[in-house]
Amino acid sequence: MSQPLAVRLQASGCLTALGNAVATHSALLRGEVALRARPVLGADGGESVPLALVQGRGFDETAPPNWLPAVRALVATLAGEGWGSARRPVFVTSSNFGVGSLYAYRRHGDAAHLAFGTPHLCVEWLARELGWGANVTTVSHACVSAHLGLLLATRALEAGLAESALVFSFDFISPFVTGGFNALKILNAGFPAPYADRATGSIGLGDGAAFAVLTRDTGDFSITAQSLHNEMHHFTANRADGAGFAACLEPLRGAAAGRRVWLKGHGTGTLEAGKLESAALTAAFPDAPLVAWKGSLGHTLGSCGLVELALASESIRSGHAPGTVGTSTPTFSPAVIVEPFSTQTTDAVVCASNAFGGAHAAFILSHA
Amino acid sequence: MLERYLHALSLCDVADEDPAVTRERLKDRFPRGATRRMTQLGLLVGVALDELTPLADDTVVYASAFAETRALEGYLDSFPSASPTLFQTSIHPSAVQQALIGRQHAIRDFFPLTGRAHLVMQAVQTALLSRAPRVLLCGGEERGTWLLQQKVASDRSFAFALALSAQSSGAIARISLSPIPDPTAVDECSLHDFFSALRERRPLDLAGPAGLRLNLTWR
Repeated sequence: MSQPLAVRLQASGCLTALGNAVATHSALLRGEVALRARPVLGADGGESVPLALVQGRGFDETAPPNWLPAVRALVATLAGEGWGSARRPVFVTSSNFGVGSLYAYRRHGDAAHLAFGTPHLCVEWLARELGWGANVTTVSHACVSAHLGLLLATRALEAGLAESALVFSFDFISPFVTGGFNALKILNAGFPAPYADRATGSIGLGDGAAFAVLTRDTGDFSITAQSLHNEMHHFTANRADGAGFAACLEPLRGAAAGRRVWLKGHGTGTLEAGKLESAALTAAFPDAPLVAWKGSLGHTLGSCGLVELALASESIRSGHAPGTVGTSTPTFSPAVIVEPFSTQTTDAVVCASNAFGGAHAAFILSHA
Repeated sequence: MLERYLHALSLCDVADEDPAVTRERLKDRFPRGATRRMTQLGLLVGVALDELTPLADDTVVYASAFAETRALEGYLDSFPSASPTLFQTSIHPSAVQQALIGRQHAIRDFFPLTGRAHLVMQAVQTALLSRAPRVLLCGGEERGTWLLQQKVASDRSFAFALALSAQSSGAIARISLSPIPDPTAVDECSLHDFFSALRERRPLDLAGPAGLRLNLTWR
């Protein structure tokens, strides 16, 4: 159901293969593609597929994980102390956590990797490294994980259980996840072209980490409505009539009434989901421009909702939103915008994500 | 204070039962052919949820520290020819999805959580903050094999599901979260500790890291 409480976004930031939020936003405006063809299993070889790694990070797993410096750099930009205390909860979201460590252990037998392999071991280690207290809730719902963290943080604020809440998400790709998507044949030699009406679909995968600090009343932006829907129709396919997409968007239509919105879609580059998603977004918000950024950054998996929140807020702040980098015409909908556009004639952005199991999540972000 | 009343409870404890035995024993509880690719945890969570008859407007909160351990082990063993089926099945909230996809049962709010020492507190908080008229709080683990030998998997298989609502009449228990004026020590409670308390109808009184005290009292 739509959540009427408008929480404030006090701060946000992200890290992608193109750098921090400002650098990533600027690179997207220039149309840069971060994805590069790399062997799907890293040192173990395999088909070359489009992957986007944080600068300076090797693809093959190390113990401790080699993404810790990147996370530290991101968290260093986060103001405030006392995260993980009773009144300053942390909501950690991811779909990967340290699961690449289990792949490394099974392939190479080094037991040092096991200390990071399960979600709780990985998050407990990360919390120690970052100086967080014990009030850390961990959410794992594939590629809508970050949206759920935002909603749980919102509810904690609404109930008066928190002064401010940190939502933190991280997904660093490994052969575990690239091998899986390659086996599903949606991660292949082709580069993603979100919403393009072409013969073969493909996605790219990318590293991503992000944070959002939510409060009840401080911050330049508001998250004014949030919505979830879980089709439970098929593990890797959506209902053919698009009803799952529409059901998630429906509560947001009322919340967006009278506002001029733009749309940041999920847009991974798969054909069927891209067609259904663009049709549902266009039907729910006629004439609203639609963009997606995974054609450059790759799909940052459980963190995509928070990475793209940081980029959407940067778009509103700067007055310019990147277009759908990497796509080509014809597209499934004329609403798909390929080139950057001005957000100054709009009031809000609808940010949507989807996941395995027909999971859908969306929220509205606007100036406070 | 946050509170809900427990109106129905379903528990499945199969300890170290082989998954194939569980599948054969429970196959008639699922649509024909649905169990072939279901994990042991999916079967157990599926039965636990099914006994509470999920409704479209229920919120589902799911807690598991290790989730689909056997699928994860099988997927890791499938390299370099990675198994697409085991990949999708190994993803965290798969147990609930297996159960509800088998019945084509859409839900709006679904919160899969993971963790360890405070997972129970956090799952209860998530359930009690829901606005849905009824919340199904479920969870469980499945016994691992080679990951268990490395102490990164559960040593037993079990699942539970609770139906929680705001209505006190007819309830079998009350579950609440109340502020702790001066939080100092924080209690730990594993998912299996919680499962045992449910099975034995034992009260719980736990201080959590959010400065809240969880009380489970039976009627």
